[in-house]
Amino acid sequence: MAATLDPVTTKTNYLNALKSAIDEEMGRNPDMICLGEDIGILGGAFGVTEGLQAKYGTHRVMDMPISEAAIVGVSCGAALGGKTVMAEMQFIDFISCGFDQIVNMLATYHYRTAGEVAMNVVIRGPAGAYGGGALYHSQMNEAWFCQSPGLRVVVPSTPYDAKGLMKAALRDPNPVIFYEIKQLYRLSDIAEELPEEDYIVPLGQAAIRRAGTDLTLISYGQNVYHCLDAAKKLEDEGMQVEVIDLRSLVPLDEATILESIKKTNRALVVNEAPRTCGFAGELVARINELAFEHLDAPPLRLTRMDTPVPWAKALENFVLPQVDDIVSTARRLIRY
Amino acid sequence: METKTLTPPKSGSGSGRKSKAEPQSTTKPSDLLTPEDCLEMLKQLYLARYFDVRLIKEKRRGRLTGTLYSSHNQEAILVGSLYGLNGTDWISPIHRDMPAFFIKDLRAGWDNPDRLGMSIGEVCAQVWCRSGSPGRARDNWSHIGSKSKRIVHSTSMLAGTIPVAAGVVLADRLNGGDAVVLTYNGEGSTAQGVFHEAINFAAVHKLPVITIVENNMWAYGTPVELECPTEDVATRAAGYGIPGLIADGQDVFDVYDKVMVAVEHARAGKGPSIVECKTFRAYGHGDHDDDRAARYRTKEDVESGRSRDPIAICKIHLVNKGYLTKAEAKKYMAENKHATQTSDEDFPPDVVSYMSKGIEFALASPPPPAEEGAMWVFREEN
Repeated sequence: MAATLDPVTTKTNYLNALKSAIDEEMGRNPDMICLGEDIGILGGAFGVTEGLQAKYGTHRVMDMPISEAAIVGVSCGAALGGKTVMAEMQFIDFISCGFDQIVNMLATYHYRTAGEVAMNVVIRGPAGAYGGGALYHSQMNEAWFCQSPGLRVVVPSTPYDAKGLMKAALRDPNPVIFYEIKQLYRLSDIAEELPEEDYIVPLGQAAIRRAGTDLTLISYGQNVYHCLDAAKKLEDEGMQVEVIDLRSLVPLDEATILESIKKTNRALVVNEAPRTCGFAGELVARINELAFEHLDAPPLRLTRMDTPVPWAKALENFVLPQVDDIVSTARRLIRY
Repeated sequence: METKTLTPPKSGSGSGRKSKAEPQSTTKPSDLLTPEDCLEMLKQLYLARYFDVRLIKEKRRGRLTGTLYSSHNQEAILVGSLYGLNGTDWISPIHRDMPAFFIKDLRAGWDNPDRLGMSIGEVCAQVWCRSGSPGRARDNWSHIGSKSKRIVHSTSMLAGTIPVAAGVVLADRLNGGDAVVLTYNGEGSTAQGVFHEAINFAAVHKLPVITIVENNMWAYGTPVELECPTEDVATRAAGYGIPGLIADGQDVFDVYDKVMVAVEHARAGKGPSIVECKTFRAYGHGDHDDDRAARYRTKEDVESGRSRDPIAICKIHLVNKGYLTKAEAKKYMAENKHATQTSDEDFPPDVVSYMSKGIEFALASPPPPAEEGAMWVFREEN
């Protein structure tokens, strides 16, 4: 554990939380292997797998050729052969190069085989915009995979959740697409003390980050922090806003959403992915199905415009939802 | 557009080619096969042919739904490549390899319940879309497999199983096993990026992945010269620094020889090979395509392509070896006939009854209950 600690405090950041989760699971599961580009000798582009190859060997931590299709396909085969696999996408944007292997091979394997074959595979990688990463280092493409039955989809926003969800994902017999928010990797503001003992965060349980009575903000990933900032501003105006961090999109914790809306009667979904057919749209549809009679205002979504993520800061900020956008839309909904 | 004449290669067309994996001695692996082995291989050819013929007839009688992808004229590739494998080896067949599911480890005994291949009944249950299929009729035709029988489950995305095959032998190696995997692919699928990506990975790590390319000259309605820029697909192996062997896909013993060289190479830890088997697709891409295939391929090309029937070629070898008399060779004449021209008398009776029992198993198996459609999306427990 010592290596994962912040030198000044005993707090662990998001990246080191992930690293310790993978390390601990490699230690407790001799049938687990890691595959990815530059994950061994280099230790990963961001360093999530740093030191793992030296500790567990080149046969368990494999540097892969630049081929996401091979990484995912080989992961499927290794899982068929009884292994648990952590497969890294160097950036989650590159996952599209392995798309067929994910949606047609991996996602459907258990279904096609009438339950004979489990796919203990976690595909993880750095995701998210707001960092000047431009078109191919900024994506949140989770909606592609939420619409592929058979995949679990997870997006942690805190170090505690990053570790607990990663450990839960690596023990889950189903394939998991694990979105790591790279803007949070080394953010010291969110570093926190983690339990010494082994723990998991079960997939499919949302967290209420802030309690409130006037409106429910529903989000995940780094938009959770935008929602919390907006909630503070709204509090200054006398409005109490509840913030739900979904943590897991598939399976989705509908109960927590419903209970919150019963209390607040208003809901706003905030999501940095593009608008059309994004997961925010799915959430608005679910809210209508689950909680229509509890609503005093239309459930709305704030999303990225239907554009790619541009590079220049002004352009990026223009297309992405910002704290002030959340505040103004929330105010409008509360006064509806 | 100029099209070259689509004739099958002459016997032994690959034998003059030098390959890194070519054995030093003049003894071929097939020279070591016993007379019983050779006669068993002929019988397996009959079985593969009868399976195909019978399904074509069942479909024409309206007893089957779904598309048939005939392996007629390509049976020597399946029998010759599978015969020398251990039961614990993995295979990864595709749509035109349906008999591979029950021919795998058939050598261990046709009625041996412990052999590591599917029963013909399970395969028939899949064809008839019944719950007795290993996949419980969830995906169609050849999209079945078995973890316990060591058969990779394919999808419709051709060449997509090669990385999966590489992964499964990677896991086997990590577990201390010595299994090899045979992946089956048409020449058309070698244009897929994943064909390259998977073989490149397997070659880097010297994994025992043997890629069989069934070059039947046609990828659906597109001739090979519009799919592949080189005369032989096997030459692509040079780019990975691995052996590229060419077999006469009509000759069960030549296929056996080339595949066994690749198997020994792989089992010795020397890595992957590509084995191109030259053959010719007898009918349309699927039976839905038979009429159109008669238009995009000339009658002369088809006749010439089908002129070297693998059953007939096997018999010539067996007569030459003295394992079969000329009279015995003429007893069951399944060769050189369209499926509809054959009758059960053209096949050994035990082959006919083996398949018939498989069909009985299928017909006795109920369709899957409707609610299974929503089952097994996720595994709920470890």
